[in-house]
Amino acid sequence: MSNELIQIETPFQFSDENQQEFDRLIQWYPVKEAAMLPTLHLAQKQVGYISPAVMEHVAALLEVSVMKVKDVVTFYPMFFEEPVGKYVIRVCYTLPCALRDCKLVLEHIKQKFEIDVASETDLAKGTTSDGKFTLLKSECLASCDVAPVVMINDDLYKNLTPQKMDEILDSLE
Amino acid sequence: MAFIKLNDLEVEVEDGTNIIEAARQNGIEVPHYCYHPGLTRPANCRMCLVEPHVFFPPAGQVVPDRQLATGCTTTVRTAPPDRKLDGKYDFIVRTDSPRVKQAREDILEFLLVHHPLDCPVCDQAGECDLQDFSFNHGSGKSRYIEVKNVPPKKDLGPDVLLYSTRCIVCTRCIRFCDEVSGTGELGLIHRGSHDEIDIPRDHNGSPLRLLDNKLAGNVVDICPVGALTSKDFLFKSRPWFMKQVNSVCPGCSVGCNITVDYKEDGLYRIQPRFHEDINQHWMCDDGRLGYHYVNSEDRLKIPMKQVDGELVPTSWADALNIITEKFSEADPGSIAVIGSAQGTNEENYLLGKLAREVLKTESIGLFGREPGEEHKFPQFTIDADKNPNTRGARDMLRLDDETALAGDALWGGIANAKVVYLVSGAPERSLDDTAKKALESTDFLVVQDIFESDVAQLADVVLPGVTFAEKDGSFTNAKGWVQRIHHAVDPPGEARTDWEIIQQLAKRLGGEMDYHFAGEIAMEIAENVPDYQDATHQKIGDGGVKLAGGDG
Amino acid sequence: MVQERRILYEHLDVPDINTFDVFRQYDGYKHFEKTIQEYQPEEICDMVMKSGLKGRGGAGFSTGLKWSFVPRDIEPRYLCCNADESEPGTFSNRYVLERNPHLLIEGILICCYAMGISTAYVYIRGEFTLGKRMLDAAIEEAYQHGYLGKNILGSGFDLDIYTHPGAGAYICGEETGLIESLEGKRGQPRVKPPFPAVEGLFHKPTVVQNVETLCNLPFLMGNGVEWYTDIGRTYADTRANPPTPDPNTGTKLYCISGDVNKPGVYELDLGLSAEELIEVAGGVKGERVKAVIPGGSSAPILTHYELECRLDFTSLTLWKSMLGSGGIIVMNETRNIVDCLLNIMKFYAHESCGQCTPCRWGTPWVRDIVQRIADGEGRQTTIQRPKFGVAEGGRWGDTGEMEEVYEDLDLLESVANNIANVDTMTWNTICVFGIAVSWPAVSYLRKFRPEFEAAIREGKLVTLSVEEATVPPEENYAYQQRIVPQLFEA
Repeated sequence: MSNELIQIETPFQFSDENQQEFDRLIQWYPVKEAAMLPTLHLAQKQVGYISPAVMEHVAALLEVSVMKVKDVVTFYPMFFEEPVGKYVIRVCYTLPCALRDCKLVLEHIKQKFEIDVASETDLAKGTTSDGKFTLLKSECLASCDVAPVVMINDDLYKNLTPQKMDEILDSLE
Repeated sequence: MAFIKLNDLEVEVEDGTNIIEAARQNGIEVPHYCYHPGLTRPANCRMCLVEPHVFFPPAGQVVPDRQLATGCTTTVRTAPPDRKLDGKYDFIVRTDSPRVKQAREDILEFLLVHHPLDCPVCDQAGECDLQDFSFNHGSGKSRYIEVKNVPPKKDLGPDVLLYSTRCIVCTRCIRFCDEVSGTGELGLIHRGSHDEIDIPRDHNGSPLRLLDNKLAGNVVDICPVGALTSKDFLFKSRPWFMKQVNSVCPGCSVGCNITVDYKEDGLYRIQPRFHEDINQHWMCDDGRLGYHYVNSEDRLKIPMKQVDGELVPTSWADALNIITEKFSEADPGSIAVIGSAQGTNEENYLLGKLAREVLKTESIGLFGREPGEEHKFPQFTIDADKNPNTRGARDMLRLDDETALAGDALWGGIANAKVVYLVSGAPERSLDDTAKKALESTDFLVVQDIFESDVAQLADVVLPGVTFAEKDGSFTNAKGWVQRIHHAVDPPGEARTDWEIIQQLAKRLGGEMDYHFAGEIAMEIAENVPDYQDATHQKIGDGGVKLAGGDG
Repeated sequence: MVQERRILYEHLDVPDINTFDVFRQYDGYKHFEKTIQEYQPEEICDMVMKSGLKGRGGAGFSTGLKWSFVPRDIEPRYLCCNADESEPGTFSNRYVLERNPHLLIEGILICCYAMGISTAYVYIRGEFTLGKRMLDAAIEEAYQHGYLGKNILGSGFDLDIYTHPGAGAYICGEETGLIESLEGKRGQPRVKPPFPAVEGLFHKPTVVQNVETLCNLPFLMGNGVEWYTDIGRTYADTRANPPTPDPNTGTKLYCISGDVNKPGVYELDLGLSAEELIEVAGGVKGERVKAVIPGGSSAPILTHYELECRLDFTSLTLWKSMLGSGGIIVMNETRNIVDCLLNIMKFYAHESCGQCTPCRWGTPWVRDIVQRIADGEGRQTTIQRPKFGVAEGGRWGDTGEMEEVYEDLDLLESVANNIANVDTMTWNTICVFGIAVSWPAVSYLRKFRPEFEAAIREGKLVTLSVEEATVPPEENYAYQQRIVPQLFEA
C-alpha cells in the first residue's frame, strides 16, 4: 500500500433539505459526536454510500478525527463504502427464516441475476452489472412470524417464495 | 492506605491502586496486554483476570467471588470498619488460584489462534509480552486447526509499520493517539475477528491521513507484541544482542528519561523511560529518531588546525600547544569563553572555573541550538528550547541576564573579544551573517565540537568532543530536574570527553584541576553551586533530583 | 386451552391507532394523565418495585430495583429506550413501533416523570425504517398536543424524545453497547461496574429499558399494583411441576416462530408451559416437536422431554435456560440440530463486536468447528475422558467411569466454555454476548449429542428421529440439575 495521501477533488456537501435535517438533529445531543449514526444515514441517503469525501465532511461537522468516522462506518453493516445497486436486497438468513426455506429465495435471486451474495468488503460481487440490484444476506430482521422475509431498500416483504420474489423484483423499476 | 491480602501476603497499598499495580509493587506478575498505566482501561484483553474474595452472607464467611475480575479495573480502597473482610482486610484477592491460572491459559489460547509463528523474524522477539506470558502462563499447545486470518501488512506513516497478523487488538495504540497525542489517526476497521488497526483509508486502501504526529513512535513502544514496528529499527538487531543504559534525551529542555540501546558500533535505538513528573511514559519522535548523528561517519575524530585557510588534521599535543600559547599571550580582557547548552553541568562548571580562575575573564557566554517550535499535546509538550541543558549550563557558568554573552548578546560579545574558546557540541547549527561576521572577526577561535560544523569551519583550532552517548554527567531540565546521562559507546577516533579536554587545557594554562571522573566534579558542584546541594551523581540516580529552588 | 390476555396489544389491530386521535379514543394517555395527577415520582418508583415488573429485554432484571440505583442528585439523567430488537426469534417491539407508537410514548412519559428525566432517546434498529417513521410521526403529534415538550399538561414536567437509528449491529441491543452507539462510536459494550444507572449515556445516570417494559407502565399505573400482580398469580399456585418460587407478574409478548401452524406474537400471562404455548400457536407444524428455543437464539435449547418447563423468568433459570426476550423458536422432527446450531453460530460469529479476546476469536472458532462437523469433516479420533453423569449421592459430576468421546465435540464444548462457562455461569468476556454464544453451543451439543456424533461418524449431516437424536432425561445435564423449588406460597 502506498503512502500517497488521497486528494479529495469534490468535497461533499449536504443538500439544502438534508442540511436542514442535520441542523435539527445535531441539537438533540450534548456531544456532537453522538449525531454520528443519523448523520451518516443522511449522507448515505444522499450519495448512496460513504465516500472519503463524506467521511471528511462528517468528521469536520462532528468535530472528530476522520478515523473515528471510518471506524464507525466499518463497524456497522448498514453503511456502504462503495456504490451499491439502486435496490439493496437483504435476505434474512437467521434461524427462523432458515426454518422457512429462505435458502430457496436466496438461491433464486442469485440465479436470476447471476450474482453472488455481496460481502461487507466486496459489494461488487453481489451487484448486478447494470447497477440495479445488490444482494446481501442479513441477520434477523425481526419478522420471524412472517418468514421468510426480504428487505428491499426500506420495504419489508413477507412470507416469500421464489415465485413471489420474482414478481416483486420484476415490479421494481 | 488499604490493607489487603494478596495471595498469602499481607500488604499495604495506596487507595485507588489497581490489582496489577498492587501485585507489581509486591513482586507478583499479573500478565496483561491492553492495560497500560498511562492510558485508559478498556479491559479488553481479559488476560489480567484475578480472583477477588467477597463476604457471602449465607455462608457467613469470605469466599472467592463467582466471577473473576480484571486486575486492571479492580481498584482497592480502604473499607469502613464494619465492611472489613475477615475483620481486618480492605480487600482479598488471589492472583494464583487454579481458576485464575486456567483462565490465563484459556485466554492465551485464544490470543494465539490467529497469531503467526514468525517469532524468528519478528522484531519484538525477546521483548514480547506474548512470548513471555505464554512462556510463564500458557499451556504450550494449541488446539486450533482452522485457517488463520491473514490481514495485510500496512504502512501507517513515516516511521511506523503494522504487521496486522501479529496484532492482538489490545487498542493501546488507538488510545495513545486519542488520549496522549490527541491526534486520533488510528482506529479499528471492520468488526469481530476481522478487526484491524488502521489509519483512515478509502475503499482501495489509499490513506486519508498518516500516522505522522510527533509522538507517533510511542505506539511502537507500547505495542505488547510485534505488530507495530519502527522502520528505523526494523531488522537492525535482535534485542538480546544490544546493551542498554539509562540516559536523558538531548533533544530539548524537557529532558525526557530514556534508555539507549547500543552495540560496539554505535547506537541502535532510543526509547522513553518512565518519569512521573517529566515525561510519564513518552517521548517525541524528534528525540527518538534524532540519535543518528552519534553514529555518523562525519564525526570529528581528530583535532584540526587552520593552515592556509584550510582545516588539516593534527595531534592533540599540537592542538593544545597552539591554544595554550595563544591564550597565555592574550590579555584576559580580550578572552571570551562560551559554554554549551548541549554540554553537561560538569563540563560547564569546569569551563566556568577555567574562565574565571585560570583565564581571569568574565566574558562568559552560552551557545546552543537555535530555538524550534513548541508542540503541545493533551498529555505531552515538546519544548521550543532544543538544548537539553540550558538551565544547567547557565547555573554552572553563573550567567546572569545582564552581562552574560547569551542569546542576542552572544555574537556582540564574541565580536568584541579577540580570543575565543567556544564549546558547541550541537548536532547542527546554521549561522547567519551576524554570527559569521562575529566569529570571523576574532583573532583566534577555538571550537570544541562533534562535527566539522559551520562554526568549526571558522575556527583556528578544532577539538573533537563527544555526544551525550559517549560521556557521563548531568543535565538540568527547564523545570529544574537534574538528571544523569551515562556513557554508552566510546568516542570515535581520538575524540575526547569534553570535561577532560577542558581540564587538560586548564592544567596547561596553570590551573589546578585534578578530576578523575565526572561524579567528582558533581560533588564539587553540590558544594559550590546554589540549589545543587543534592545533585551528586549518587543522589541523582535514575530518578533525578529536583533543584532546591523548585520551578522557575 | 390457555387464553390470550391482551393488554399491551389490546388495540394493536384498531385501524389508525397509530394516530393521536384514535389513540385518545381508546383511552390513550389517560393512564399518564392519572399518574401525573395522582402520584408523586417516588410513589411511582415504589409501585414499580412492588409490581415485580421485570425488564422484558432479555435479562429479566427487576425494573424497580434498577430505578432505585439511579442517583437523584446528578443532572441530567437520561432514558434510553431499547428498540434495537435483533435477537433472532423476537419481533414484538416491531409491532408496537409500527402500529401503536403512542403507547410507547406514554410509557416513556411515565418512566421519565418517575425518574425526573427530561431527555429520552429511542434507539431503533436501522432496519426498522417503518417503525421509526411511525414513531417519529407519533412524537410529532404528541408535541402538538402538549404531551411532549415543556411543561407537559401544565405540570411543570418537561420531556423531549428523540429517535436514534442504529445501523445493523446486534450488539447495540446490549445496554452499554447501545449507549456507546448512541454516543456515536462503535457499539462495544462497556466494562461494568459502573452500571448505566450510575454512569451511562454521556457519563450521566441512565435508565435503559426495553420497549415492552415501558409499554407495561401505563397499565400498571392505570390499574394499580394489585391488578398487575394478580396477572402473575395465574400459574403461581395452581401448578406443581415445577412451581415458580416468586411471582412473575404481568403479561408477556411471546413471539413464536419456526415450525408452528400459527406463528406470531401472543400476549399471555407469564408462566405457561412451552407445550401450552405451542398449542396456542396452532400446534406444531409437522409430526412432533424435536426442540424448542425458549428465549431468543441465545437461550439454551429445550428437548421434547422438557416441554413442561414453564416460560417465565425464574422457572427457565431453574431449568438452566432463560426466557430472554421471549422469542420461542420451534423445530420439528425434520430439523437437524447441527444445522440449526451452525446457523446460530454463523450469526454470533458475524455479530461479535470483537472488543474482547475470548469472544473475538472464540466465537468464529466455535462456528468453524460446527461448520466442520456439519460438512462431515469432524474429527473421528476418539479419546478417553472421565464420564460425567449422575454421580454418587445423586449429584451431577464425575461418575468415576471413563467414556469415549469425539475429539471435535470435546473441543467444541471446551472452546465454548472457555468463552463463558455454562456450568458455573461465569464468563471471561466483557459482556454477556459470550454466554449467548456458549449457551446454545453447549446445550445443543449436550442435549442432542447423538446427532452430532452421527454427523462425524457418517461424514455428513444425518437427521435422526426425535427419540434417537435426543439425550434421554437421565443423561440430560440440565434436566438433572434443574432445581425443583418448594411450592409457591401466595
